[in-house]
Amino acid sequence: MKKLLLMSAIAMGALTTTKAQDFKKPLKETFEVFDTTRDQEKKMQLGNKLGLIAKKWPNEWATHYYYSLAKVGLSYQEKDEAKHDALLDEADKERDEAVAILGKENDETYVLASMIANSRMMINPMQRWQKYGKIFQDNLKNAQEANPENPRMYYFKGVTTMFTPKNFGGGKKNALPYFEKAEGLFAKEKNDDIMKPYWGKFQNTFFIAECKKEDKDN
Amino acid sequence: MWAAIALQSQISKICMRLKLPLLSILPLLLISVSTWAQTRISGKVVDMKDKPIKGASVSLDNTLDGGTTDSAGFFSFETTETGNQTLVANDATHSTMGMPLVITGAPITGLVLKMRTAVLETVTITAGSFASGGRAATVMSPLDIVTTAGSNGDVVKAMQMMPGTQQNNTDNGLFVRGGDAYEAAVIVDGIVAQSAFASGPPGVATRSRFNAFQYQGVQFSSGGYSARYGQALSAVLELNSTDLADKSNVNLGINMGGLYASGTKRWKKSSLDVGGSYTNLQPLYALASSNFNFYQVPVGGGAYARYAWTPNKNGIFKATISTTYNKSGITIPNPSSVYGDTGFMSKLGDRINYETKDKYLFATATYKQMFKTKYSLLAAVSGSYDSNSNKFGPYPLKTEEYRTQGRIEGKDFINNRLSLMVGSDVQLYGVGKQMDSFHFRKSFDEKIVSAFAEVEWTPKYWLAIRPGLRYEYSAMLKTAVLAPRFSAAIKTGPNSQASLAGGLFYQDAPNLYYLSDITKTPGMSYAAHYIANWQYSKSDRTFRIEAYHKDYQHLVREYYPNADSVFVFNRNRILNPSIGIDNTGHGYADGLELFWRDKKSIKNADYWVTYSFINTERLYENFPVLATPTFIAKHNFNVVGKYFIDKIHTNVSATYSYRTGFPYYDPTLKPLKDNFLTGTTPDYHNVALTFAYLHSFGKWFSVFYAQVDNVLNTKTVSGYRFVPDGNGVYTKQSVGPALYRTIFVGANFSLTQFSKDEL
Repeated sequence: MKKLLLMSAIAMGALTTTKAQDFKKPLKETFEVFDTTRDQEKKMQLGNKLGLIAKKWPNEWATHYYYSLAKVGLSYQEKDEAKHDALLDEADKERDEAVAILGKENDETYVLASMIANSRMMINPMQRWQKYGKIFQDNLKNAQEANPENPRMYYFKGVTTMFTPKNFGGGKKNALPYFEKAEGLFAKEKNDDIMKPYWGKFQNTFFIAECKKEDKDN
Repeated sequence: MWAAIALQSQISKICMRLKLPLLSILPLLLISVSTWAQTRISGKVVDMKDKPIKGASVSLDNTLDGGTTDSAGFFSFETTETGNQTLVANDATHSTMGMPLVITGAPITGLVLKMRTAVLETVTITAGSFASGGRAATVMSPLDIVTTAGSNGDVVKAMQMMPGTQQNNTDNGLFVRGGDAYEAAVIVDGIVAQSAFASGPPGVATRSRFNAFQYQGVQFSSGGYSARYGQALSAVLELNSTDLADKSNVNLGINMGGLYASGTKRWKKSSLDVGGSYTNLQPLYALASSNFNFYQVPVGGGAYARYAWTPNKNGIFKATISTTYNKSGITIPNPSSVYGDTGFMSKLGDRINYETKDKYLFATATYKQMFKTKYSLLAAVSGSYDSNSNKFGPYPLKTEEYRTQGRIEGKDFINNRLSLMVGSDVQLYGVGKQMDSFHFRKSFDEKIVSAFAEVEWTPKYWLAIRPGLRYEYSAMLKTAVLAPRFSAAIKTGPNSQASLAGGLFYQDAPNLYYLSDITKTPGMSYAAHYIANWQYSKSDRTFRIEAYHKDYQHLVREYYPNADSVFVFNRNRILNPSIGIDNTGHGYADGLELFWRDKKSIKNADYWVTYSFINTERLYENFPVLATPTFIAKHNFNVVGKYFIDKIHTNVSATYSYRTGFPYYDPTLKPLKDNFLTGTTPDYHNVALTFAYLHSFGKWFSVFYAQVDNVLNTKTVSGYRFVPDGNGVYTKQSVGPALYRTIFVGANFSLTQFSKDEL
């Protein structure tokens, strides 16, 4: 009977903790599904959920970081230029918030800045590559200086290289070395602490397979 | 729900065991039951026009309970919250919307939330200026310029396709809103660029000295410009040089005008560019039939070096040095017959060899630093020297010009709505002109000291005000002037705004007057600008309408004894020392301009249309009466289109330019006063095409381009020359550009350092 009492106490306790301090659990759960789902509707819902988490725990850099990341992810799917920019304005705002709480930039916030610039460029590359291409490159460079072991930096460099036309030095063949470099670094990362970003491994593995496919064709 | 019931039965069992009255635990139980109860909340989110908003986040404030709207705007979610709550709808492009809600446990359905479109950007002042803030950045990027057909990659030529400027292919410079070419200043990183154009033979427009790719962007102000600048009655064209180079690279190019090579080395915090070029227009002139008789086609060479250094995150130092040399020679008819000159010129033959040699050196250093995102500092110094050793037949004509400048500016960003800028600049410049064997050598040295202040205040997101004041002192003229400037903008809708700009703009008289032996030195002239515009801009489509009035005062007038009957039309005339000079000249310009740019409607395409109407007259220089000058066309119209064909990596650009005729003076019509500049040349049409094909050979990225100017080979007439035969009978000869249809092909190869170090 004591056991039962304890269980019910835990059950009651669980009810209250969801309302209280632990943001890590919902953050981890929400972000992980957001990161891996391919269903756009669901991605949008989870992105909004991350927004609610950031609003509820505004003093944690991580809640703003992941919300910003979600906005960037969603922005790539938004073809309307004004909406695309509006999403990225929010991403910028959330990123700034995260940096303000951290007190300084780090490799992860640089990678995020680079992604925002890249997405701004991709909506209208002909008009924007000059301005945002530079911001994108500069932030990747900053990230590398801050931590040359960050796999997301190489992963993202790989993605952007892959989607750059071959004539401009892009393509799968040129992208593969970046993904492979990232793979080794991802292997060293643990995926248990949401406060230490570890996303990207799953996608990286997918892109390596994609890049190798073409190698066979050649 | 079953869980709650199960729990309840468990609890009642515990109570029984513990012999506790069930009632004592009941309040707790009720709370927990209500906490567990899920209330469904559903409804719809629409905008002010009742259109559904997709992807909006709808939630109870400060909870994790929420949903996302579908494509029909519907949302639905469950919550365990009760009591007084706030339902919040969030969407990136709309203002956040809140709605109070009382949750009792019963489902709440049929809610309708209306969201207003967000006003994202604060208003920016645009009157008179084609530089806008925010994302639109600058009016033209280097790429815009080089891909504009008809511009031939020349920054200034590309500006002739913007509203407010006159199409002109026989004279150098920008003719803005009724202004003469000397009234527009070109400014590089806050420094006035001396002799912005390479000198060439008279009547042949030369390229400006600015390579588009050395600049991040171009800001063109056709009037009402900032108090930061002065000594330009009409307009300023601001060029901002590039910062640190992105990557190390090697760049090679060849075209029908010559060869060039450059290299860039990038270090961690600094970069160095060096480059050299050789120009020879022989191939170009061989292909097109020139209207001028070149015995020496233009040839020349140039070299430059640029160093950029970022000592810290918010500071940048830039230093540039460049030098060029050009020469050319044409045979022209002896102008003495046209002007009825009986002096030295008439002793020369019917045809005269005109030779030009131009040496130019320009060095600048600038430093910009931002302190704690609150203060910024700009310091700049420069020196330039230009020497022209021309020859008119056997007579040497030498002009030497120098200019040294310093500028310092500080800006205090008091808060994000208010900033104050103060600064000062000093310009020392002079020109010496020598015509040995006869006449004189004459020179002048001028020192202009200025101080300026400008406040930018955005009290509301929909209102911006920028008042400024500029003080200028001329040491040569011993004159001090105060020039107030003002501009403001107000939002008229989410995507539209209206702007105003105006002020007084002072400038010394043209150099010509300080290089003559005339007894009186003319003082400064000034122009008052009044500009108003309205602009609609939404997702890469911009429409703008702008109207202005310009009032010119204190322009220089020359008085000739025979002014009633003779007018010498020569923009390079030498002043007779005996004539009278004063500052009583005046003029006006009224105009209306339209601009439409659309980067959106057609994928991979960008086009713009400009139209400028102007009504202007002035009484200045050697004009006998108030008249419209020879460089003014009432109507100017341009269509510029660019299209990138993805599949074949080719950029195609086409430009159509049209203007009505220029006024000209026909000396056969008498009396002069009634017939002064009353003739009009035929309308001008020009179609230009550019193709650029991008390809990479291994690591070499290459661009092959072909430009055709005046595709239809139209015989453009920009004026007439009336040559008398001595018996008072005139022959009318048309004056046109050096070349009609031109074809220009070339290629550029660049090798960017492969970033192995990134791995």
